[in-house]
This record gives sequence, structure tokens and C-alpha cells, in this order.
Amino acid sequence: MENIRLLLVDDEVRFRQTIAKRLTIRGLVPEQAGNGEECLSILEKSPMDVVVLDVKMPGMNGIEVLHHIKKRYPKTEVILLTGHATTQDGVQGIKSGAFDYLTKPIELEHLLGKIMQAHEKIRREEEKLREAEFRAKMEQQMIATERLASLGTLATGVAHEINNPLAIIKESAGWIKLLLKKKEMAKMPHKQDFEMALDKIENSIERSKRITHQLLGFVRKSDSVLSEVDLKELVDEAVQLVGREAANKDIEFVQELDVSLGPIWSDPYQLRQVLINLLTNAIHATGAGGKITIILEPVGEDVALTVQDTGEGIPKENLERIFEPFFSTKSPGESTGLGLYVTRGIIEKLGGEIGVESRLGHGARFCIKLPKYHKIKKGSDENNRADLLDKITKYNLSTH
Amino acid sequence: MIKIPTKVLVVDDEKDFVEMLSLRLKEVGEKVTPAYSGKECLETLENREIDVVILDIKMPGMDGIETLREINKRFPLAEVIMLTGHGTIETAVEGMKLGAFDYLLKPADFDDLIAKLGGAKKRKDEQEERIRKAEARLLVRKTGGIF
Repeated sequence: MENIRLLLVDDEVRFRQTIAKRLTIRGLVPEQAGNGEECLSILEKSPMDVVVLDVKMPGMNGIEVLHHIKKRYPKTEVILLTGHATTQDGVQGIKSGAFDYLTKPIELEHLLGKIMQAHEKIRREEEKLREAEFRAKMEQQMIATERLASLGTLATGVAHEINNPLAIIKESAGWIKLLLKKKEMAKMPHKQDFEMALDKIENSIERSKRITHQLLGFVRKSDSVLSEVDLKELVDEAVQLVGREAANKDIEFVQELDVSLGPIWSDPYQLRQVLINLLTNAIHATGAGGKITIILEPVGEDVALTVQDTGEGIPKENLERIFEPFFSTKSPGESTGLGLYVTRGIIEKLGGEIGVESRLGHGARFCIKLPKYHKIKKGSDENNRADLLDKITKYNLSTH
Repeated sequence: MIKIPTKVLVVDDEKDFVEMLSLRLKEVGEKVTPAYSGKECLETLENREIDVVILDIKMPGMDGIETLREINKRFPLAEVIMLTGHGTIETAVEGMKLGAFDYLLKPADFDDLIAKLGGAKKRKDEQEERIRKAEARLLVRKTGGIF
């Protein structure tokens, strides 16, 4: 009961002190104020749950004080105390937002009961608010997830459709190349120009192919092969692979790897891809002389892998979009906009989660959670979306 | 040594693709027949001797996997290389389980294709060689080794 913050406002000192004493005996210690002004200045310093407020006071009367309280502290509940002959003040008070009114002389039990009810109401309101916030957050997340899922489906469809004409272009270019190699073509005018143009066509086909294959998830050499993975070794390896690029920009790698962490059961090739993607992104985002920290630690049944940079950070409006396919802030030739999309796909396929935190100018932090032991699910492409929705529902249940 | 041409059947509903790939394969000395659907593929196999079928997985009507099942049933000696532009390697894996020699992702690298074609032809030759030997043994047993 002592967690109810209560303020007692009455200009009759004796009455106020008597009530306060009796409430204290019952375990409820109220603050006291002798008039409206005092009441408001106390509220300014320390917020209250319930204010028991006398209506008839010199200076600012109870109704006026009530208006101020409701305007400035809408969460605070007010119980009015009215004189016997002025119950209409109480009614007016309730219309102005008071929780209830009591007529003097009051019974302590009665007052206590009202205070408890008012407090209960606050608690319910807070809970409702929390629930609404949670629901809004979940809905947002659902929308983001569905959006990502449908974008993914679209992207895969487009990639597939493009592969066919791409194959035709490739065959045609290859055919011309073969023809140019024939003896009778040796003295063909502008032969070198033709060859140069063909090389450009073939290079562009390779580039397009990389994009479509990445989109279709063909980055992997073969299908998921699970084995024991020593993440510490994998981190070392990935750091070495991107080391030169980092060294060119004078970027320092800091590894905080928990030595007690044993091997996990997962897909080493795909995880290496993930690490390289994240580290490359971090290098690109970080200016000369920056720092990239890689943290590896066990968290219950999971392993947490964090890549943190001191780079430029990600603007808030981009944070929600960075896992979408084709989202990129780099110029077209430089990036396909698929790195993080693929990364997220891999992590989810391996039963993990990836998230990002960032503030503009304060670097970015990518956190991956991976299960120590992962089993492959069949037909994961079809079920991906259902899985995610399922996950959200479960999350919903577990946090309630 | 003179190259013995592999008799290739290219099956894809993309006519331009079949045409260009056929030209290239002919240029490197293979003997190519085009087909533009699963049905046409089976009809061709009926009438011609084919070593290797290059088969697109995604086709309207009878798709690659269905066609592959039919080929296995009716022309078990023909080797199949699957071509996929499709989002799932799973289909290709399913095809390999059904006995396809290998698969390639579209757009495929020509050298890869040639290498796999060679591999498929070799497997077919070896298989035929084994059958021939087995038949010879059978003949020997029947005649008691006396000709």
C-alpha cells in the first residue's frame, strides 16, 4: 500500500493532520498541503498518484486546483472533499475529471476505499497504455516483416525472369565470339572493336548474373551443410579476408571474443559470408582511423555476435529499410543493395535473428543471435513468412 | 584424335535460347537437336538416338521434373543435365535424386556446360560398355563358350 503516492490538500490544519495520522497508521503516508498553490508546487516537484482535495479553500478553490491538475498531470487522480451542503461541487468536479467526491464529515474506511479504487484505475490505465504501445510496435513489426517478405518474393520472381533473357544474351555473345575466332574472320575490319564490345557485354552479363544469383540465394556453393563451427576461428578468418581493405583506411579491428565459447552447430560457409558482409559494410561506413569491434559471447542457449563500428551511422529513416532487397546508399556499380538482405536471409535460415541499432554520427551496431544448435527445416523458402508471423505471435505471448 | 560428337537434345521453351545454344554447341562439334517443350522432347527421344538431354526445369505444360521422370522411365540410357533459372536449388536436387547427371544455373557458363556434357557422355558410354560386357557374358554362358 505504501507505493501509492498520496497528497492531502486541506486548509483546516487539524482535520488534515488527523486524517494524515490515521492514514499513516494504515500504512499510507500522505504528503500534505494547506492550499491550492502549495498543492501545485508540490506536484511540480514530485508527481502524485492520488490527490485528496478539499473544495472549499481560501485563495484558489478546489475546483480550480482540479482544473490545473488535470491539465498538467492527466494521469493523477483527484478525490474531492465537499461540505455537506455543497454536494453539487462534487458533481461538477466529476464532470471536470475528478475520480469521485466524498462529503464531509468523512469516514476513514470510505476514503481509504476510494483511494485504493483511484489507484487501481491508474494501474489499469497504465497497463492499457503499455498494451496499446506493445500492440502498435508489434503491428509495425508485422508490417515491416510482411513488406520484406513480399519484396523478397517479388525480387526472386524478377531475378528468375531476368535469368532467361540473360542466358540468351550470354549464348548470343558467346556465339559471336566463337565466330570471330574462325580463320576466315582473322582479317575482319574492326575485329578488335568487336572483341572489346563483346568483352563489355560479357562482363555486364556476369554482373547481372551475380545480382540475380545473389537474389535467388545462390551465393552458397551448395545447399546448407551443417557442421561444427568455431566462431572465433571464423571471425579471425573473416577479419583477415577484409584486412587489407581495412588497413588501407587505417581502421583498427578489436576482437572481444569470449574464450569459454565452444563450437556451435551451424553452416560455416554461410556464416563466413555473413561476417564478411557485415565487416565490409562496417569498413565502408567507417572513416580513416576508425575502429570496428567484434564481440562474441554466449547468451543462454544462444550465441550473440556483435559488429560495431565508429562510422557515420545510419539515419533513422533508413534503419527500417536496410534489410530490404536493393536498398543501398552506395552508387549502382558499387553495391547491389543485397548484402544485408542476403545476410538476414541466411541468419533466419540458420534459426537466428539479426537486428541493428544506430544513431547518426555515432556508428552502427549489428547484433546477431544464433542458436548453438540448429536443425535445418525443409522448404524454408515457402514457410519463411509463416515462420516469422509465428515468431511474432510467440514473442507476443512470451512477453505477456 | 577426332572428336566423336555427342548427340545433344536441348529442351527449353525459350526458342532464342535453344537456337543460340544449339549454334554454339554445333560450332564446338556436337550434334544438336532442339525441342521446345517436354512433349516435344519425349517425341524426339522416341525417334532419334540421343546421348544427353539439356533440360530446362521451368516450362509451361509438362515441366522439367515431369519430363525427367518420363525420360527415366522410357529412355533410361539418356543422360540429363538440368538447367534452372529458378529460385530453388531444391528442384535441381530433386532432379539429381531422380537420376539426372547434374544441373546448371542459368545463365550457365559455356565451359561448365561443355565439361558437364563431357561427364554425362562419359557416364553414358561407360554404362553402355557395362551392358555390352554383360550381354557378352550372357552369350558366352548360353553357348558354353564354344562358338
